[in-house]
Amino acid sequence: MKRSIPILPAITAIVAASYFLVPLFATFYFSLKMTRGTLSFASYQSVFQSDEFLATLGYSTLASLAAIVMGAVIIVPTAYWVRLKLPKLRPLVEFISLLPLIIPAVVLVFGYIRLFGSNSYLPMTSTDHGTNLLLVFGYVIMSMPYMYRAVDNGMAAIDISTLTEAAQSLGASRLRTIATVIFPNVRASIIAGSFLTFSISLGEFVLPSLLNRPAFGPYLVQLGQDRAYEPAALAIMSFGFTWGCMVLMQAFANKKPGQGVLPRLPFLSRKERRA
Amino acid sequence: MTMTPTAVSGEDHAATPGPRLRSTFGWSWLGVVPFFVFAFLFLIGPLLYLILGAFQNSDGAFTFDNIVALGGANIVASFSLSIRLSLLSAAMGAIAGLLLGHAVVLGGLPKWVRNAFMTFSGVASNFAGVPLAFAFIATLGRLGLVTVLLRDLFGINLYAAGFNLFSFFGLALVYLYFQLPLMLLIITPALDGLKSEWREAAEILGATRRQYWQMVGLPVLTPSILGCFLLLFANAFGTLATVYALMGSGFDVVPIVLFQQIRGNVLYNPNLGYALAVGMISIMALTNILYLLLRRRAERWQK
Amino acid sequence: MNITSRNILSLTTAIAVVSGSIAQAQTLDMDALIAAAKAEGTLTTIALPHDWCNYGAVIEGFKAKYGLEVNELNPNAGSGDEIEAIKANKDNTGPQAPDVIDVGLSFGPAAKAEGLIQPYKVSTWASIPDTAKDAEGYWYGDYYGVLAMAVNKDLVTDASPTSFADLKDPKYAAMVAIPGDPRTGNSSMMSLYAAGTATGAKGGADAATAGIAYLKALKDSGNFVEVGGSSQNFAQGTTPIMFDWDYNILAMRDNLAGNPPMDVVIPSDGVIAGVYVQAISAYAPHPNAAKLWMEYLYSDEGQLGWLSGYCHPIRFDDMVARGVIPADLMAKLPPAEAYAKAIFPTLDEQSAAKAVVAETWANEMGVQ
Repeated sequence: MKRSIPILPAITAIVAASYFLVPLFATFYFSLKMTRGTLSFASYQSVFQSDEFLATLGYSTLASLAAIVMGAVIIVPTAYWVRLKLPKLRPLVEFISLLPLIIPAVVLVFGYIRLFGSNSYLPMTSTDHGTNLLLVFGYVIMSMPYMYRAVDNGMAAIDISTLTEAAQSLGASRLRTIATVIFPNVRASIIAGSFLTFSISLGEFVLPSLLNRPAFGPYLVQLGQDRAYEPAALAIMSFGFTWGCMVLMQAFANKKPGQGVLPRLPFLSRKERRA
Repeated sequence: MTMTPTAVSGEDHAATPGPRLRSTFGWSWLGVVPFFVFAFLFLIGPLLYLILGAFQNSDGAFTFDNIVALGGANIVASFSLSIRLSLLSAAMGAIAGLLLGHAVVLGGLPKWVRNAFMTFSGVASNFAGVPLAFAFIATLGRLGLVTVLLRDLFGINLYAAGFNLFSFFGLALVYLYFQLPLMLLIITPALDGLKSEWREAAEILGATRRQYWQMVGLPVLTPSILGCFLLLFANAFGTLATVYALMGSGFDVVPIVLFQQIRGNVLYNPNLGYALAVGMISIMALTNILYLLLRRRAERWQK
Repeated sequence: MNITSRNILSLTTAIAVVSGSIAQAQTLDMDALIAAAKAEGTLTTIALPHDWCNYGAVIEGFKAKYGLEVNELNPNAGSGDEIEAIKANKDNTGPQAPDVIDVGLSFGPAAKAEGLIQPYKVSTWASIPDTAKDAEGYWYGDYYGVLAMAVNKDLVTDASPTSFADLKDPKYAAMVAIPGDPRTGNSSMMSLYAAGTATGAKGGADAATAGIAYLKALKDSGNFVEVGGSSQNFAQGTTPIMFDWDYNILAMRDNLAGNPPMDVVIPSDGVIAGVYVQAISAYAPHPNAAKLWMEYLYSDEGQLGWLSGYCHPIRFDDMVARGVIPADLMAKLPPAEAYAKAIFPTLDEQSAAKAVVAETWANEMGVQ
């Protein structure tokens, strides 16, 4: 059934790729124009001179990963339960999951400060750890629309009631069903949701800026404010970094059953040679 | 005639073991408690301040003035503009995303093409605001790379021909940059779920490609497509930074009007801003209801 | 819940007001203030971009001189954000609560009316002009600038325009831009106001109406660019003639370093000045650090810090009279004649203009 490259899908892919890549190239080209008359990487050097780059990047990456894990743990069981047992609640859950798109982030963060300020019942802002946790919760909320929709679509594609029955007839408990049967089957959706969570959390500016956290977003803004060429360089760099992280996540996510921890790279898998 | 929703749950099948048959429904609530507690604490809670604020004036007294002000001509025009733009953007994103998804997932292209698009989409779906607006200004603005190339190499003057990046359709084109990846990412699991057996069965029965899609593929995908459309609509509706960065002062979508009242340096009427947000939430609720009605029709073939 | 907390809040405000008033009665004991501020250890600021009036250097100078830390919240915040931040942080003493704010002129009285700020009169209070401060000491002007034009010499190769009237020339097609939305940005609002006064209107609502008419004419003739003017858009070429405060334009000229080369022009027919004001939050978790910050800002050292960012500090005339401004700093500023005919719109004129803009801008200039 091997065909040569199909024409129409290839054209579609090429058109889409050019739509995506040309504006990025235009930004990149502009970022090279910082020194007058020639193209150079001067704007990139200017950005790297700051020592906070790695610190804020590391902090934001950690916070994003925490948000991914927390988001998956909260949303996947909820989507599963609602589909399986509580379909009447589905409209309410969907509506709630879409609210973060409408609520401005600034309203959210001021609400957090009011609710969890140092004089409230749950004074999360009084400590660094508490504020970090609050920030992660904020990231989970902001990425909830995407994570929920992705996971819900994934569950639509698999027959969860049959899977659940099969697992239960084999004696699995609810928890075991979710962890060992449902999660792996919606893995592609969770990965898609994780991509979105990661890129949202990494670039998010309002939340950490008003909660006074040393995240990557405020750093980017402070560096690029009122500048011309540096923001273009920063945009390209953070785009590249985020894409790199996604590629890594994708490589780890594409495990087949029975595979080891490392991804299937040609020079790593010895079993191929015996065939 | 219509399938009742209770048939979806697995309760009625005799295969469910255990003596908990009767009281299972009562215990089911526990499964969603974490979500609701989390949502209440970290989403609904802050929202309550907003909703309460919509009904107060600057002294804190209860008033309907802000809600009444939503009926003013300028604000109604803003909502109309926002809804039209969001509908167009969601439609563009949905159709383009579906086509691209089909090409990349089912089109027989090499695996690395799919991976490249998926990972790129993860980043591009959040590429918005000033960087995105600038990227398009640098590409299709009056002195943009593509504009200048077309003019110098092919003699085509885009702006003289009527194209204008800084217009309704130009803005929709810019929105596509994050709507298309979002659609691609979220529809792909559904596309994966289209079993190849169905395709083979249809072909054995003599269906053409068009008939397969018309009678099998699209109906199966429709609930997911509707869900994605709703997400794209909400996403476009809430977009602020991209509009402001591209259009500056000429495009009064609702988030910008909200921004003026809550966060700006000139006007300051936060209670009106909160009322606008309540208006936005109401629009979302209405579109959600519409989506539910459509989805119920689309899902009626499922058990 | 609401009633009790409101009572407590009004009590706290009353105490803050009383203690503020008592502070005025005493002469300033600088050492005690420094010791108290150091005991608090940090200051939390908001909405202070580093390139705005050279706040970056001012903050570093403060940190170096007194050894305090400074939490810098959202540098992108608008005046509305800052007020909202004080309100949201009423019960919060963590590092998210701003101690001091720097807001547009009209936001000073608004914040005072809502009980969000506390009075404090710095030791150099007398040398601040009366028109730029609240008599009771709640808010006080910090710096001012006038509206200027940046002209990209790569794209405007002939002589630069020198007035609003010049901009109507067809050779400036698709070139003229304001920083953003006049209903959101103070500098955009003032650009409009300045255009209005340039056409001959008196202040207030008339200036706003005339300004909108001017911009609409510019848009209809094709000279106006809808995109907001920013450093990036200016360098890229989309907004070759853009308006902003003179200090921002001059800082931009420094940052761009000749790439592209630019002229800074103060329009000859409409010179509008804008004042920003400082205030201390009534709920400041570090009130002594806040007071020390104010003392620093209004000392000669702090005022010169702003001057190095091309902002005219509010005590400018007093400092010139005493001869404490270095000659090289003076040389970098635009010539003084341009400022001689600067108009400072009053609070009433500004609010009248804002009302007009809020009503009519969308109809005249917007996409519907």
